[in-house]
Amino acid sequence: MGEIISKDLKKNIDTLKNIFIDCDDISYRFIDIGKDKKREACFVFSDGLIDKVLIGEYAIQLLLTLSDSGDVELNLKSSGLEKIAKESIAIPGIKEEKDLDKVVDAVLSGETAFFVDKADKALILSSRGWPTRGVGEPDTETVVRGPREGFTETLKINTTLVRRRIRDPKLKIKNIQIGRRSKTDIAIMYIEDIVSGGILKEVNGRLDKIDIDAILDSSMLEFLIEDNYLSPFPQIENTERPDTLAASLYEGRVGILVDNSPFALIVPATIGTLSQSAEDYYSRWTISTIIRWVRLFAAFLSLLAPALYIAITSFHPGLIPTVLTYYLGASRVNVPFPAVIEAYLMELTLELLRESGTRIAGPIGTTIGIVGGLIIGQAAVEAGIVSPLMIIIVAVTTIASFSLPSYEWASGFRFCRFIFMALAGILGLYGIMLGIVVLSTHFARLESFGIPFSAPYSGLGIEEGDLKDTLVKAPIQKLQLRPIFTFPKNRRRMGKR
Amino acid sequence: MQNKNTISNQQIKALLVTTVIGVGVLSLPSDLAMILNNSGWIAIIIGGLLILPFIIIMDRLFKLYPGKTFFQIGRKVMHPIAFNIILIIILSYSILLLSYASRIFAEVIKVYLLETTPTEVIILTMLIAISYIARSKLEVVARVAVMIYPIILGFIIFLIVINLPNADYTNIYPLLDIEYKEIPRGIMAVIFSYAGYEILLLALPFSENNENSLRYCMRGILMVIGVYLIVFFITLSQYGVHQLKREIWPSIAVIKEVDLPGYFLENLDGIVMAAWVMVVYGTMGPFLHASGVILGDIFNVKFHELFVPPLIPIIYSISLIPDNLIESDRIMGRILNYFALISIIIIPTIIFILAYIKRRKDKA
Repeated sequence: MGEIISKDLKKNIDTLKNIFIDCDDISYRFIDIGKDKKREACFVFSDGLIDKVLIGEYAIQLLLTLSDSGDVELNLKSSGLEKIAKESIAIPGIKEEKDLDKVVDAVLSGETAFFVDKADKALILSSRGWPTRGVGEPDTETVVRGPREGFTETLKINTTLVRRRIRDPKLKIKNIQIGRRSKTDIAIMYIEDIVSGGILKEVNGRLDKIDIDAILDSSMLEFLIEDNYLSPFPQIENTERPDTLAASLYEGRVGILVDNSPFALIVPATIGTLSQSAEDYYSRWTISTIIRWVRLFAAFLSLLAPALYIAITSFHPGLIPTVLTYYLGASRVNVPFPAVIEAYLMELTLELLRESGTRIAGPIGTTIGIVGGLIIGQAAVEAGIVSPLMIIIVAVTTIASFSLPSYEWASGFRFCRFIFMALAGILGLYGIMLGIVVLSTHFARLESFGIPFSAPYSGLGIEEGDLKDTLVKAPIQKLQLRPIFTFPKNRRRMGKR
Repeated sequence: MQNKNTISNQQIKALLVTTVIGVGVLSLPSDLAMILNNSGWIAIIIGGLLILPFIIIMDRLFKLYPGKTFFQIGRKVMHPIAFNIILIIILSYSILLLSYASRIFAEVIKVYLLETTPTEVIILTMLIAISYIARSKLEVVARVAVMIYPIILGFIIFLIVINLPNADYTNIYPLLDIEYKEIPRGIMAVIFSYAGYEILLLALPFSENNENSLRYCMRGILMVIGVYLIVFFITLSQYGVHQLKREIWPSIAVIKEVDLPGYFLENLDGIVMAAWVMVVYGTMGPFLHASGVILGDIFNVKFHELFVPPLIPIIYSISLIPDNLIESDRIMGRILNYFALISIIIIPTIIFILAYIKRRKDKA
C-alpha cells in the first residue's frame, strides 16, 4: 500500500503535482460543484491519452449543471462519493480508489482521476481514448480467402477481436502487468475446459518470474519466457491474425497478448504448428496438403541449397548427371573463387540487399531492388566473378525462405544455412549429413513449455493421429479430435458422424 | 500433461530398430553367404528368434521390480562390487562396439564419398556429432530414433523398388539346400547384427505403458528380421552367391548395380550415404549415451553429460588401432562377437536369475 488519499483536496493535488513534477502531459481541471458551488473538485488526467469529449460532456458538464450534485452534508462520507458517481456522472466505467499510487498508475494508463474535497477516496473514470490504428489487414500472414482482420497495437481491440470469435464464458482473458516502469498490460487467454493445467501453470509461472523494467513488444516477452533462448529457432509461435489465435485457443493452447504489439504469442509451439498457415484451413484439403509438402521442401531448400551446390561442385561432381557436370564446369571455368567463397559472397550480398530493402521502404527500396537485381545478378555473371548457376541457387534459396509461413522459423533456417555452407565446404556431403543429424537432435532437444518441439514427428501424437493435421491436412470431417500435443482436457471438437 | 521422464512404447520400438540396425547390416549378406551359401536366411531368422527370449527376460526383470532402473535392480540383487565389474564389462563392450562402428563407418565414407579425407577426421567429426545426442536425455535419444526410423524404412523400400527391374531371382535358389552343421556358425556371425537390443535395459523402465511394451519390442525385432531378410535376398538376387561372397559391403554396393535411364542422379551413392550416416548415428548415439550413463552410475552420479566427452578420445584411439579394414574386421569383429555374447545374453540372464531368486526369498 502506498500513500492513502487524504480528505484535503489541496493536499492530494499537491502530492500528485509533486509526483508528476515536470510531467507536462498531466493536466488538472478544477471545478466547483454543489448547490452554491461551494465544494471544490478536480479532474486529473493525462492529455492525449483520454477521450476529452467523453470527460467533457458526460462528467464535467453534468457535474456543473446538475446543481444538487455533491450536495451532501459537508462532511462527505464514502457513500457521498458513491452518490456522485451514481447520479451525476454518465461514464460507463467508474471505480473508487483509496491508494494514491494506484491513482497514479490509472492516470498514466489513460484513466481520469476525480478528486472531491472532503472525500478520502478518488473516483477513477475509465476514459482511455488515445489515437489508435484501425483494424487493418495484417502485413505478414495475408490470405487469399479468409478474414482480413489483423491485430492492432491496442490490447482492448485485440482481445475484442478474439472474443468475437469465441463467445464462450470459458474463454478466460486474464490481465496482468509486466515491467517495473513500462507497466505493460499483458492478457493471457485460454479456454478453461480445454487447456491443459500443466501448460497454463508453466505459462503463469514463467510470466511471474519476469523482472524487467520495460516490455516494448511481444517478441521481448517471447525471448524472456522461451525454453531455450540460445537456440536459433523460435519455440513460441506468433501471429497477427485473430482467427489464427482463436483456432489455437480451440486447440487447447494459450495465447498471450501484449499491449502495444500487434503480434500475439501462442504456446506451446511445435514444428507442426510453425509450418501451418491460416490459409490451410480455408482452402480445400487437397491443395492444402500439397502446399504443406511444398513448405517442407522450401525449408529443405532454404537450409541446404547453397550447401549442396558447394558439396557437389567441390567434392562430388560424380553424383550428378555427366551432362550437368560438364555444364557446371563450363560455367565455373572463369570464376576465380572456390565454390565456398563464391557462395558466401553471393549469400552475403543478398543479405545486404535484403536488409537495406527492409529498412528503407518506398521508392528507394524499389531502387535498391533494381540495382541489386541488375548489377549483382547480371553484371557479376558477365564479369565472371560468379557463375550463373550460383545466382539461381541464391535466388531459389531466398524465395524458399520467404515461402515459410513463420518469419522467425524461416530465420532459424536462414541462420543455419551459413553453418551448413561451412560444413559443406569442409566435409562435402558428409558434412551436410552431420549437420542434418545434429540439427534433428537439436529439434528433439527443444521443448516448448514442456511439450516436445519436434512433435508429432518425434513420436508424441503419431498414434493419436496428429499427423492428419501436420504432414497432410485431412478434410475437416476427419479432424474430429483436437491434436494431442497440447494434452487437451476435452479432445472431441466435432460430433460423431 | 505428459510425464517428463517417460517414453512411449512406439518410441521404444523405433529406438530398438534404429539401434540394432547398424554397421552389421553392411557385411551381413556376404558373411552369411560365406558360411551358409544360399540358405543364409535361416540364420537370420533363427538368430532373430533367439533374441526374443532375452527380450522377454528383460521385460520380466523390470516387471519384478516395477519403477526401478537396471542399475537399481543390479545393486539390489548383487554385491555392488560384482555389479560394478559387470558394468565395466558392458562398458568396455560398448566402447569396443563404438570404436568398431566408427572405423567401419569411416572406411565406408572414405570409399564412397571422401576419398582423400583422412580417416581420423571422419571418425572425430562423427564422434563429436554423436556426443551431442549422447549428452541428451533418453527421451531425446528416443525422439531422434523416431525421426530416423522412417528414413530406414524408406531406404529399404527404395532399395526394393530400384532393384526390382534388373534383379535375377533365379539366383536365390536353391532356397532350401541347408547345411545344418553350419547353422551354429552362421548364427554366431549373425548375432553381432542383433547387438544393440540391450538398449532396452535402459529404455524399458521409462516406458509410459509397461503392459504393452513387450509387444512393441517383439514387433521391433520382427521388423529388424524383415529388413535383414530383404537386404539378404536383394543382394543375393543381384549378385548371385559366388559374387556375393567376394563383396565387402554388398548392402551398399548393390546400389551401384542399378542403372536406370532417366535418373536425375547419375549414381545413387549420395542418397545411400545420406541414409548411411543416419543409420550409424541412430546406432552409435544410443550406445554412447548408454556408455555415459553406465559410467555415471559407476561413479554414482545422477547425471551423465559429463562422462560422455572423456569417452571420445578413448573410442577414437581404439578405432585407429587396426591398420586396415581386414584387420579391424578380424580382430575387433571377433572380440566383439564374444563380448556381445557376454554382455547382451549372459549378463541379463544372470541378473534376471538373481533377481528372481531374491524376489522369491523376499516373498517367503
